[in-house]
Amino acid sequence: MAAIELIASLASPRERAGTDLGPYDAVCLGSPYCRRVRGNFAEDLSLLPEAVSGMRAAGKNVYVTSPAAPRGRDLPHVEMLIAAAADAGAQALEVHNMGVLRILREKGNPLPAHIGAYANVYTHLTAQVMRDYGAVRVRPNAEVSLQEMEILARDGGVEVEVLAHGKIPLGVTERCSLLSEAEDADPKCPSACEEERWLTTRQWVLKNVGKGVLSGRDMCLLEHLPRLLSMGFSVFKIEGLYESAAYRSEVGRVYREALELAASGKPYEVRPEWAAVLRRHSREGFCNGYCFGKTGRLYVGTVLQEDKPKV
Amino acid sequence: MAELLASGGTPGMVRTVLDNGADAVYVGAKGWSRRRAQYEMDDEQILESASYARSGGKVLRVAFNTLPASGEIPLLLAKVEKFMAAGIRDFILTDVGAMTALSRNFPGVRIHASVGCTIVNAQDARFYKEAGADQIVAECRMDREEMRRIKQEAGVGLEVLVHATTCYTLLGRCTMSSYTRQEWRIDAEGKNHFLGSPNRGGLCYRICMTEWDEVGKDGAVEGRGIVLPNVAYFLVDDIPSLIDLGVDTIKIQGREYSVPLVGEMVRFYRELIDACVKDRSSFALGPWKERMAGIVAARDAERREKTAGLISESLSAP
Repeated sequence: MAAIELIASLASPRERAGTDLGPYDAVCLGSPYCRRVRGNFAEDLSLLPEAVSGMRAAGKNVYVTSPAAPRGRDLPHVEMLIAAAADAGAQALEVHNMGVLRILREKGNPLPAHIGAYANVYTHLTAQVMRDYGAVRVRPNAEVSLQEMEILARDGGVEVEVLAHGKIPLGVTERCSLLSEAEDADPKCPSACEEERWLTTRQWVLKNVGKGVLSGRDMCLLEHLPRLLSMGFSVFKIEGLYESAAYRSEVGRVYREALELAASGKPYEVRPEWAAVLRRHSREGFCNGYCFGKTGRLYVGTVLQEDKPKV
Repeated sequence: MAELLASGGTPGMVRTVLDNGADAVYVGAKGWSRRRAQYEMDDEQILESASYARSGGKVLRVAFNTLPASGEIPLLLAKVEKFMAAGIRDFILTDVGAMTALSRNFPGVRIHASVGCTIVNAQDARFYKEAGADQIVAECRMDREEMRRIKQEAGVGLEVLVHATTCYTLLGRCTMSSYTRQEWRIDAEGKNHFLGSPNRGGLCYRICMTEWDEVGKDGAVEGRGIVLPNVAYFLVDDIPSLIDLGVDTIKIQGREYSVPLVGEMVRFYRELIDACVKDRSSFALGPWKERMAGIVAARDAERREKTAGLISESLSAP
């Protein structure tokens, strides 16, 4: 079995503060949604050397993300980001946009690519193309089932990263929906996305992060970890963007313990204290339907199912 | 001159758009395009429609622009082989791997990278060219400068949608619909229609267009009746500049609209483009905008009705 890697995502020093990275093997720095996120590691490149070296000194693998949908005017920054991430010692660039992937190759692949969730990887053939451009890891689109991911990992020639827990990225947009004026003119930017905002209607709830739409419910694969390991997956992400330090720290601890138990070969069960932690941090309940070919907001499983009226 | 490409949701729509002046028509292979099955065609209908297009010296393009499962790639290749054997050379794709497979396996194939590829910069365009695309569709909000850069630097054809929708999210990068409802339904050929996923099966429940409440951390409602902008547009002012830019294809989306309405749209754009090209010095947009207003009103009425039905359908999720 390949060594397990548990990854946390952190947008900024603000999200880094107070987060216990002890449970994690790796960290992905920066927000792909908006270049204006305060202290965005993928934007304020002066932050990278210290952040990367500090985390690497602590034994973590460190990756840096890139903008999800950069226009041509953003590409000069992307070029600087690639250079800064490589110089700082980051071990991969998370890439959502094919133009960014191409630039990375043009630069001679100074660091490998990890293909992000917004890159729309659905097939092993696409994973192969990404591999040929310098990708070593792929996070399939949220809609791709575990069964399909297994084929991707087997035939795509790349590692597959699985979102184990956290909000599912559902959409990316260019106009911040938390602002009433243009970004430069609205005093609410960049603080607006630092506060929780939810969109609710009928039986649906979504989390609104301004330029991104996330699931209201938390993806949760805790009770399925033994199956995931037996399928050969070993890279797991806890989506920590736009969450609290306590969320990243405590959810990370739960998954670290759970993965160790699942990998030990001992009988596996979801411990009540784990469930309690996850429930405490999950405002709208859990989901994992996409993994099983069902509606994304649904939860498949028995242990953590609960009767939430809204999803 | 730019090709005028229009939608063919049914064999009747194919004939109508070609008869009204479209140079080319696109159709969806059943289960494989970014619309639900009722706006797609089975193989026989596609072959008959292609024959009709050819008889008028026009082109039929087949959309396979959903994102399939790995296990469906052999089905895709078999269908393309069948269409190629019947003389169809033009295909619209989104999956990068599928593009590469087609360009390697079928010499002479012409591939358009779909709007679902979300091509937002010139480097994107170059990537898709390297993957096998002959032409790329510009993301709906792309500005002229980026289009100019693609024309100058990417060496790939450029297609612009003049009647389409700018989703709240970037089109092709949204799974809000399938988050609220998704069903896997596999047809007799073995194709999963991924109902509820616009990226995979074509059906979008347009939940962004319902009215939302904004709620803060403490649960207090801070705003009511919020609609996430999802606007159907109908470009007129831009046509002269698109022609000047050397855009290769001007595309009218609309398979889900009524055949008479789509026919009217095509006739409108045909005459507008021809008038613009014929005599630029006396060309004025005013009369065209007046005529456009009537078409837009009819389009919006049809769209409102369809949107309400789709949201209702999503709410009836199992």
